Amino acid sequence: MSVRLAAMRDVLVGLIPIALILGLWQALTASGVAPPSLLPPPGAVFARLIQQLGSLTYLQHAATTLLRLFAGFGIAVALGVALAVAAIGSKAVESALMPLVRVLAPVPKVALYPAFILTLGFEDASKIALVVADAVFPILLATYQGMSAVEPKLAWVAQAVGVTRARCVFTVVLPAALPSVLTGCRIGLVISCIVVFLAEMITSTDGLGHLLVRAARNFQTVDMFVPLITISLLGLLLNAGFNALRKRLLAGFPEEK
Amino acid sequence: MGRVATLPGVPPLIACLALLVAWEFAARVLGISGLPPASDALAQLPAILSDPESLLNIAASLKRMAIGFALALVAAVPIGLMMGRSRTVAAFFNPLLMSIYPVPKAALMPIIMLWLGIGDASKTLVIFLGVSLPVIYHSYQGSRAVEEKILWSAAAMGMRAPARLFRIVLPAALPEILVGCRTGLVLALITMVTSEMIARQAGVGNILFNALDMAQYDTVYAMIVVIGVLGYVLDVAFERLRLHLVGWAAPTHDIVVGTT
Repeated sequence: MSVRLAAMRDVLVGLIPIALILGLWQALTASGVAPPSLLPPPGAVFARLIQQLGSLTYLQHAATTLLRLFAGFGIAVALGVALAVAAIGSKAVESALMPLVRVLAPVPKVALYPAFILTLGFEDASKIALVVADAVFPILLATYQGMSAVEPKLAWVAQAVGVTRARCVFTVVLPAALPSVLTGCRIGLVISCIVVFLAEMITSTDGLGHLLVRAARNFQTVDMFVPLITISLLGLLLNAGFNALRKRLLAGFPEEK
Repeated sequence: MGRVATLPGVPPLIACLALLVAWEFAARVLGISGLPPASDALAQLPAILSDPESLLNIAASLKRMAIGFALALVAAVPIGLMMGRSRTVAAFFNPLLMSIYPVPKAALMPIIMLWLGIGDASKTLVIFLGVSLPVIYHSYQGSRAVEEKILWSAAAMGMRAPARLFRIVLPAALPEILVGCRTGLVLALITMVTSEMIARQAGVGNILFNALDMAQYDTVYAMIVVIGVLGYVLDVAFERLRLHLVGWAAPTHDIVVGTT
């Protein structure tokens, strides 16, 4: 019981800063220190958010963003895991791939966006490519590091009973590295969320990022906050969904702290 | 050859060369439209790097990045350390940080620009926000893992709580904090470029996207190379610093990747 009480106390304590920020926001707008053209009152923002979430056009923009997000994330997962498996499976691939990753991982990928626009066009492909470029590295690295840390005895046992080395990588080493693969995927998911929004802000004619830029150009401050809140809600929802999936997939693995 | 390839620094060099060759090949042989050959883009580099205006722009970008990064360290490390040592502080900050985490920091630019203008202040603030979160998170993890017994001994010898935080928890958590700093560094660079693309006024991102608008594609690719090299050099320099500071701790990961 005391554990539950402490947990409840933690939740309450955690609400304090959020309430403080909302209170400060409300006080700033109500007292007139911040004119509504610069900082709209929180009530107006949330009312608009609820109104927009019921509007079909807004939902279509959100769907476009989600579609690009999932396409990019899906490719990044497939590519990242496949490359990591190849690097673990073959020394030659590893020695060719890892220096490339070492060079490319710290490069800010947004800078590549103009190149993607020029080669892939202004449509979905360039945005999806940017999401892939940004999300693939954490997934690849987490998978690679997870697979290299797998207890070698597990693979030896499998090979001793006659499993070939290649099959062993897929049936023993990759499943044993699942926790870190999923950690990499979670990081990649949040990154995808952020990057797709940025790409849409830079050049786009639809999607949530475009809505933010359009509102900014017309000085509609309320409409600037709404897509921002939507994308962070999406991020939180996707993260929660992913955690639930992770719990199911990792049933039987020792708990992580 | 076999021995040369294992020297430190040689494999990344080979990787860079391979990338350039692949790029040249894709442009010349495959003829991908919108992709000038690597040699054409690299030929622009001397012009960019000898133009005082673009050098000033690059320097201004780096200055903003350094200020934002430094301010973020000063604010984030103490918060993270305290979160790791006190359950109440952790409970206080955690939900707030969790809900800020998926917000693209550079997307706050248009709103912050309304308040602070399009100058240095808003860009530095955005960099500050972007760097703070990973540094807080890793400081928190690092300080949570500090051995309790060391703290008890220090307390028994009469060391007060603030002194314990800075003389014991900080050094013990330093390896983990530096992991956060490295993520933060990558992030600072990303946020720097993005913020300059949104507020086109000065800086590296401004040169890049103005060249795109004016269809100077060679310059676009040359700037991408400049930014990429910047990212790689900063990362290698930071790794050197890390080895110097915490060479005693086993490196946790070879490569760290951050979020925007």
